[in-house]
Amino acid sequence: MTDDAQELIGDYRYGFHDPENSTIRFDKGLSEQVVRDISELKNEPKWMTDIRVKAYRHFVERVMPEWGNCSLLNMIDFENVTYFLRSSDKTEKSWDDVPDDIKNTFNRLGIPEAEQKWLGGVTAQYESEAVYHSIREDLEEQGVIFLDMDSGLKQYPDIIKKYFGTVVPHSDNKFSALNTAVWSGGSFLYIPKGVSVEMPVQAYFRINAKNMGQFERTLIIADEGSTVHYVEGCTAPNYSTDSLHSAVVELIAMEGAKIRYSTVQNWSSNVYNLVTKRAIAHKNATIEWVDGNIGSKLTMKYPSVLLKGEGAHAEVISVAYAGNGQHQDTGAKVHHLASNTTSNILSKSISKNGGRSSYRGLLQVTPKSTGCRSKVVCDALILDEHSRSDTYPTMEIGNSTSDLEHEASVSKVSSDQLFYLMSRGFTEDEAMGLIVNGFFEPFTRELPMEYAVELNKLIELEMEGSIG
Amino acid sequence: MNYQQMAIPPRSEHLWRYTPWPRIHPSSIDEVPIAADVIFSLEGRESFETIPQAADNFDDIARSFLHATGSSCHRMVISEQSDPIHINARASGHIAVGHLELEVKDSAVVFIHISGEPEWVGLHITGKIHPNAHLSFGFINELDSNSKFLRCEDWTVERDAELEHATLSVGGFRCKSDMRTTLNGTGASIRQSITVNAIGARHDDEHVEIQHLHGHTYSNLVMNSACGGSSHFIGTGLLTITEGADKSDASQVFRNLLLSEKARAEAIPELEVLADDVSAAHGAASAPIDRNQMHYLMSRGLNPQEAQSMIVHGFLLNAFSNLTNKCLIEEMRTRLTVHLECELRR
Repeated sequence: MTDDAQELIGDYRYGFHDPENSTIRFDKGLSEQVVRDISELKNEPKWMTDIRVKAYRHFVERVMPEWGNCSLLNMIDFENVTYFLRSSDKTEKSWDDVPDDIKNTFNRLGIPEAEQKWLGGVTAQYESEAVYHSIREDLEEQGVIFLDMDSGLKQYPDIIKKYFGTVVPHSDNKFSALNTAVWSGGSFLYIPKGVSVEMPVQAYFRINAKNMGQFERTLIIADEGSTVHYVEGCTAPNYSTDSLHSAVVELIAMEGAKIRYSTVQNWSSNVYNLVTKRAIAHKNATIEWVDGNIGSKLTMKYPSVLLKGEGAHAEVISVAYAGNGQHQDTGAKVHHLASNTTSNILSKSISKNGGRSSYRGLLQVTPKSTGCRSKVVCDALILDEHSRSDTYPTMEIGNSTSDLEHEASVSKVSSDQLFYLMSRGFTEDEAMGLIVNGFFEPFTRELPMEYAVELNKLIELEMEGSIG
Repeated sequence: MNYQQMAIPPRSEHLWRYTPWPRIHPSSIDEVPIAADVIFSLEGRESFETIPQAADNFDDIARSFLHATGSSCHRMVISEQSDPIHINARASGHIAVGHLELEVKDSAVVFIHISGEPEWVGLHITGKIHPNAHLSFGFINELDSNSKFLRCEDWTVERDAELEHATLSVGGFRCKSDMRTTLNGTGASIRQSITVNAIGARHDDEHVEIQHLHGHTYSNLVMNSACGGSSHFIGTGLLTITEGADKSDASQVFRNLLLSEKARAEAIPELEVLADDVSAAHGAASAPIDRNQMHYLMSRGLNPQEAQSMIVHGFLLNAFSNLTNKCLIEEMRTRLTVHLECELRR
């Protein structure tokens, strides 16, 4: 890594990178031919190629968003991105068969160990495609389908055709169009009726190559009365040039189903993280987004829920940490499209060393949705005078029987709290770390324990030297 | 840049999301129509001077348009303490535009009552509160229920000066207000309250921007709206605390009371904080009338209309609770009470 890159990145524990041993690497740049080539290489059905091409044309026509951090967005050079890179010829079911260099990467990230201990299934994606995939036999026997998206398309084309792009259409925004055009990898998860997946299933996304674009596509369908917890983690190495991560995640919770989708995003601070995540909740279904954003240069991510069925519920808990050179533009959107639907949004952010965190949210109640209730709470901490925190909430209320609340506050760490802890023997750094961990506690308590411990460690690392 | 050189703002700008510029413009958007003057008259011994308008250096399309349609500006300098000043702004005809400039060097109470039956009226008010001065300002919109109304205000509050700003918006068919205040000195403060009674098919869009440029500045914004019929209320607020404006205290609360099935309300209270040692908070709530409150009042003999009116009255009055000047509070409350009683008798 160059000195410039080191300065830019700071201390980032996943910043190592392995030599690139790609089997197929496309030239940089995007064109209709690149889109067709990706589809041909994957031997996809014609309908998928057509969707990709249509999405590409929309991407070209669609202007960049005129809100958010426009100056950073306009710095993205789409011609300097590699849109497809295959590191392994096939998706393995055993860690032993994964190529050594990739296996080493995931070993260093602790994935195989985690799988043995507490996971129901794992997908590990390296660059554009999954390199490893497994699911516990008992879940497979119950009819749970957990595949990487490419295999899902090959093995279950009818299901994919039925649901692909129904939650996030390609025309939704410029980056959903880009993802639909060049998607590769991601997870396909189907939980049959009444099946409850007790242990979380996990996907791990890793960008290793320089100027790489990762465009995974995830589709999760929880059939009636089923439950599942899906966890994803993301890292990338440190380079002095930028990478692009533009995923699309679609969740569909049928009647009475429950999906919890947890993310701990820890991309290195040269990654643009522009993700569209949206869920549909049918009658009495529950969607929970638990979203942690620690890394990246610019994150624009607003997990959304369309509450389509009566009695559906949405829960969004998100935390963001914005350090030097980072802008975490995150939030949540909940559309109450049916009566008696409820939602809770809790957002917490910390800005430090000139970082900027923004909450951007939308709460909508349509005129025919009666008896809806929602509560939004945003709390922000600013740790120094160079940092910034913004709140841009929107409430659109079209029905008089709905009850909605929003509250937000921005403050610094209370000197009384610091004084109290220091009078009990903690150093100022330790006291600050404790207060910040406490601030994030509503988020960490919703994560599996291993993730919560990891997140606390990450925050402690990020907080080092934050005093004075 | 003059109006005709300006690009039409996109709806992605939250200022124009719910009331796009073409919907508030009086005619075709490329046009700068000929406008009559709003007639300003005064009760009391103060007087206006009429001055030419300053050069158009606005980067905002509404202000630039008002500049292009207006011809002159009424200016008032308040140099010493006086009785409350009542300014009647009367608009008539097809299109009417008025410009008013206030400069306050002492303590003053000023009310503006706008009324009339124009198809379209535009009003641009600029004000400067000098160091240590205090202005209590009440704005009462009692326009005809068929009028379109565009209102822009720009206030500068200097060191240790105070502005108390109250709005009662009960008139007009489609109203768009854009009120901006700059706290331009240490110790400057603003308390702002906006009360909107949206009935029938009224569309009322109130936008407030408050910029804390210096430390130890204070702002407090309360916006209460009651929405009945098929009305649509939009409240947007942007509080900005700039870098270095430490010890600033900024808060905003938006409350919407929804009275009918077809009424709509949007609340967008935004915060941009670039300093660390500040207190900044906002809250927003929307709800129907509490059934328990209705039940309580009706069990004491009030019919449903009277009970609802009483609750709405109390709710809207509450918006003025952050103000301190008794004369301002009294006048605003009286106007609101008269308006609600007239409405109840209809």
